[in-house]
Amino acid sequence: MVGGARNSARELAKEFTFSSGRALFLAFSTLLIVVLAAAPAPAAGGAPLPQNQPVAPVTDFTQRCLTCHSQPYLGQVEVDGRAKSLFVDPTAYKDSVHGLLPCNACHTGFTPDPHQMVSNAEFFAQTAGEACRNCHDDQFEMYKQSYHGTLSRSGSAESEKAPLCVDCHGSHAIQKVNTLAYRQGIQDVCGRCHGGREATYLDTYHGKAVTLGRQAAATCVDCHGSHSILPVANPQSTLSQANILGTCRRCHPEASKGFTTFLVHITPTSPKAPLVVFLVAMFYLVLIIAVFSFGGVHTLLYIYRGLKDGLYFRKGGH
Amino acid sequence: MTMGTDAKEGVRLVYRRFSTFHRFNHYLAMLSFFGLVLTGIPLKFKESYFSKLLIDGLGGVEAAGFIHRTMAVINILYFVLETGYMVYYVAARKGPIFGDDSIVPGKKDWQDMKGMFRWFFGRGPKPALNRFTYWEKFDYWALFAGTILIGGSGLMMWFPEATARLLPGVALNVALVVHSNEAFLATGVIFIFVHFFSAHGRPESFPADEVIFSGYIPVEHYIHERPLEYENRLKNGTLDQVVTPAPPAPRRRLFRWITGLVTLFAFLAATYTLLLIVWPLVS
Repeated sequence: MVGGARNSARELAKEFTFSSGRALFLAFSTLLIVVLAAAPAPAAGGAPLPQNQPVAPVTDFTQRCLTCHSQPYLGQVEVDGRAKSLFVDPTAYKDSVHGLLPCNACHTGFTPDPHQMVSNAEFFAQTAGEACRNCHDDQFEMYKQSYHGTLSRSGSAESEKAPLCVDCHGSHAIQKVNTLAYRQGIQDVCGRCHGGREATYLDTYHGKAVTLGRQAAATCVDCHGSHSILPVANPQSTLSQANILGTCRRCHPEASKGFTTFLVHITPTSPKAPLVVFLVAMFYLVLIIAVFSFGGVHTLLYIYRGLKDGLYFRKGGH
Repeated sequence: MTMGTDAKEGVRLVYRRFSTFHRFNHYLAMLSFFGLVLTGIPLKFKESYFSKLLIDGLGGVEAAGFIHRTMAVINILYFVLETGYMVYYVAARKGPIFGDDSIVPGKKDWQDMKGMFRWFFGRGPKPALNRFTYWEKFDYWALFAGTILIGGSGLMMWFPEATARLLPGVALNVALVVHSNEAFLATGVIFIFVHFFSAHGRPESFPADEVIFSGYIPVEHYIHERPLEYENRLKNGTLDQVVTPAPPAPRRRLFRWITGLVTLFAFLAATYTLLLIVWPLVS
């Protein structure tokens, strides 16, 4: 364990050769980690220290950060008027797709002095602007052209609302997007800004099937697109008049033009729905209430009369 | 009546109410209905904990979908058989289309219903009921119409690409509304509000009516339950057509077992449906 820590520390040192101050800091912290790692587990002290957890997938840089940030009682800081938790769930992080990366792979603006905080907006700009891009350049280029990306750079009042990578993908607990769990939650992610649309989607067969565990059924992004998402009115959108048939045909190769006019985001019981859908929904509402009420009353009265006249459990039938 | 003599002579008589064909059709309807509800209603109540439990227990959404479509084919089969019989009955003039012996609703049903309500409130005797009561006619025709609507909308959604080539896309929206509501209506009618009670839960047949499974009921029971049909047959001299000696004891035991098992399953199905519906409301 100690040897492993030394090797990783050496690799880590290579990353930081550009600054003598950093090198000095690193030498000191490496020594600290080696001592900590070699020391027996503390008998007292409550919360388990990181060295009690499997070290293999997590680099020492991560371990160093988690010494403090894995403590749930670390509290919150207020950044840009919003409370941000300083706690990072170490298990969720290690189980995430980035569990092998050191913290500074994304937290690129991180300085050795942990108290020299980078403001939230600044960090987010960095994350969207460079951190994710370092590995996911293609996706970032698509995002830049998308409605979300354009909005984020627009400088308008709305630009702050534009989602950055982490808004849809999450941060420390980031998961593969093709897992069932992630796909089952997508409509809630989109719904944070596009509220109301998720309920109508969930009432379609696609939504029902995904909710009950069918991974392949379509979610928001399968129709609307993801990184290069554009408003439906945009001719480049996956759902524009020119492209919608191709989008449907990705799963329904036999789809025709008429197929694309199925309406996903309608509430049948709302007068805003197409008239025929609304009328059918209203017809059933009235019919169900009428039949269940009449049937229920008839049944209860029959039971009442049966009990009153002692017709139940009459020996030898009748 | 000759009942007493028969009993003394040790010959048990039964009234044959349903032919083998009709019982077979009911078995098909019952099996497919249970299967369709079991695999379909969880989609309607997708947020319910019990829906997840059931779908996972069946092996996932794909497996449940496969069962649903298999049961749909059985459902269509019984519907085609029943419709075929109906056409044959009318074309071959097997019997009267309207009147006492018929399943077609008539004026008498309206009078019977008013009579039953008077009886419920203790303001009159129980009306003399005919071969098919008004609630049985409701059950039959509601299922018949419901099967067309739910089967038609189900087929539209089973083959959405073909549907959209013939109809505009909004037809699929309508199909979903029809299928979902009709399923809820049918489940409520069969499991809770009408069928289970009117066939098995009413005082005359409680806790279960064997007649649809075995085809016959004891003659004493028949006279009490269908007094008008009995009187008519007595008058016309057609009683011999429907009254026969009871089948041997092992056969009677078999049908009692089938009835018991189906009743148990029906009770579980009704409880499960109630849980599905009530659970999202309370949690």
